[in-house]
Amino acid sequence: MDAVLIIQSLISGIMMGMVYALLGVGFSLTWGVMKVINIAHAAFGLLGAYLAYSLLEHCGVDPVVAAAGSAPLLFIVACGVYQLLIRPISRAKDVIVASMILTFGLAIILENIMVLVWKADPRVLTPAYASGALIVGPFYFQYPHLVGFGLSILGITAIYLFLKKTYTGMAVRAAWQQPEAAQLHGVNLYRISMITFALAVSTAGAGGIGLALLYSFEPHSHNLWLIYLFLVVIVGGVGNIAGTALAGLIIGVITGLSMAFLPYQWVNLVTFGLLMVFLIFRPHGLFKQEV
Amino acid sequence: MKGKRNKGLAVLIVAALFCGSLLMVPAAGFGAAKPIVIGGSLPLTGEFAETGQWIERGMRFWAEGINARGGLLGRPVQFKIYDDQSNVGKAVTFAEKAISVDKVDLLFGGYPGTAARAVMPVAEKHKMVYVSMGGHMKSFQQGYTYSFGAPPLMGEWWYEGFFQWLATLPANQRPHRAAVYTINNPVGLSLQDSINRWTKKLNIRVVINEKYNSPLADATSLIVKAKQMNCDILFSNGFFPDGVTTMKAAKALDYHPKAIVQGIGSVVPAWVKELGADGDYVFSGTSLYNKLNYPGNDKLNAYVKSKYKLDGYPLYFGFGYAWMQTLEQGVTGAKSLDQTKIRDWLKGHQINTIAGPMTFDKRGLPPPINFCTQIVNGKVELIWPKQIRTREPVYPKPAWKK
Repeated sequence: MDAVLIIQSLISGIMMGMVYALLGVGFSLTWGVMKVINIAHAAFGLLGAYLAYSLLEHCGVDPVVAAAGSAPLLFIVACGVYQLLIRPISRAKDVIVASMILTFGLAIILENIMVLVWKADPRVLTPAYASGALIVGPFYFQYPHLVGFGLSILGITAIYLFLKKTYTGMAVRAAWQQPEAAQLHGVNLYRISMITFALAVSTAGAGGIGLALLYSFEPHSHNLWLIYLFLVVIVGGVGNIAGTALAGLIIGVITGLSMAFLPYQWVNLVTFGLLMVFLIFRPHGLFKQEV
Repeated sequence: MKGKRNKGLAVLIVAALFCGSLLMVPAAGFGAAKPIVIGGSLPLTGEFAETGQWIERGMRFWAEGINARGGLLGRPVQFKIYDDQSNVGKAVTFAEKAISVDKVDLLFGGYPGTAARAVMPVAEKHKMVYVSMGGHMKSFQQGYTYSFGAPPLMGEWWYEGFFQWLATLPANQRPHRAAVYTINNPVGLSLQDSINRWTKKLNIRVVINEKYNSPLADATSLIVKAKQMNCDILFSNGFFPDGVTTMKAAKALDYHPKAIVQGIGSVVPAWVKELGADGDYVFSGTSLYNKLNYPGNDKLNAYVKSKYKLDGYPLYFGFGYAWMQTLEQGVTGAKSLDQTKIRDWLKGHQINTIAGPMTFDKRGLPPPINFCTQIVNGKVELIWPKQIRTREPVYPKPAWKK
């Protein structure tokens, strides 16, 4: 087996995996902290991708700048969605099931809004560097992959530092670990939940833009992205940011190695076989559940 | 007196006959006839929504035309279109519902090939004529007698025109080593038929022949491999997303084969719009083309120009229209909505569509179609057969525009 092919496949796989990890951290966070499985998470990511597409097409704004710009916008939208839809179900008997059903409906609404605004045609995010590559020896680093990878590292690090170093972040962790004790110490659980949800949706926007740099997208693409979200979150451990990032890396490595060593038709089988193995032997994922 | 009474009676009888005959006149002129309902499903949302919506537009344009001309058999036509959400199972359910519950008069063809293939046995069971693209050759080899491909979307014929053109080149100018990457589904696999036959015939060595399951996670390693193996022709037999991923990787990795053949993904209008110059010089096949010199194409092109600001109708707009043209001629020829009469008429007569004149064999297929297209400067050009070519092919493929 050619070493160049193996390493090249690994490079591409890792970059792809990290972009899924960026999309996955927010999904993991809402699942871990709020017990909300946000099926519409990938649809919010797709909304970010479409916003970046429109900004690039009409104003020439680079997708990275669009990611920074769309984050506060999605944050505000998500606060509204939380107040309107998520908060009312937080007292449900089974929040997980209620949230899945509710956000499934939300995903369908978002998809139809995207069809209305952007039509059903597939789109491709093509900044000036879309088909360029950094060449290092025999290896090619496609610029869109590099930008997506950089965006992921930045986004995941920012979320990690926010949770570890800021007061609000610590409150989010406290709410996840000991909700009653956190409340006794003055933590407003609703406010923390709203911030967590909005933060998660903001990162989804950035993750969606990262994925749009790699793949073409259509209003229904979020369904496929959602499958990968479950993959990274279940492998990494629900609510574990570092675990989600590592899961992205691992999935990237496995995909890359599969593409180098196995017939291509086996790649998805191996990747999703991994999900089944994790569900059977380590249902809590690589790491214990911890924000 | 008696004569006067008889005369009055005769007038009354004539008047009654006249009134009675009015009731039997085709009702289009009177606007009260029961419409002919044409039912079925299309993927109006989901994965194949873009294509499904173009098919619907083509069908509706046909309906506007026929209703303006007084309808079909003198009755207006109307559609009962279900959205199968790009789901084959739902396409089957809706076909059953349209036939059994809605009791539609006619069925229209669905999309994609997997859905059409699944609906064909339903149509056969209920003895309903089903004009669609079918689901490639195998779907027409099941002994169905009510299904027609007019025109069909036949993967087995898809690259026929490309190879026929390639065979006209001197042997030393042809590619010698092929990389073939194929999506692992019936559509992709059907494309391999002509590749296998012709590469042997033209002495092109297939050095890579890999299948992949959708979605294609990444195309980098595919291109690295093709480059390393010095493949000078690339067959990318995948849908739009895989095609885009492959083209982007080919450009980024500076891969320069003599020809890139992208069979499925490059036929949607988004290919040209979204990829721009990077989508140029790709070869594909088709069984319908908007610059064909057959009656009706100009009218369709003018319509999409005014309505959608497009130069030339999209392929699936034409398919939707052509399938309805076929159904129309079957009904008009049979002078009836009796499905067996329509079927028999279609099997025994030539029909004329925007895709050209067609006759059907026992399987419901016309003779093989061998159009080859190439995208040049953002336009889909017909390069084969030579006598109807719209421009000379660009070969070998120029370097990527940086």
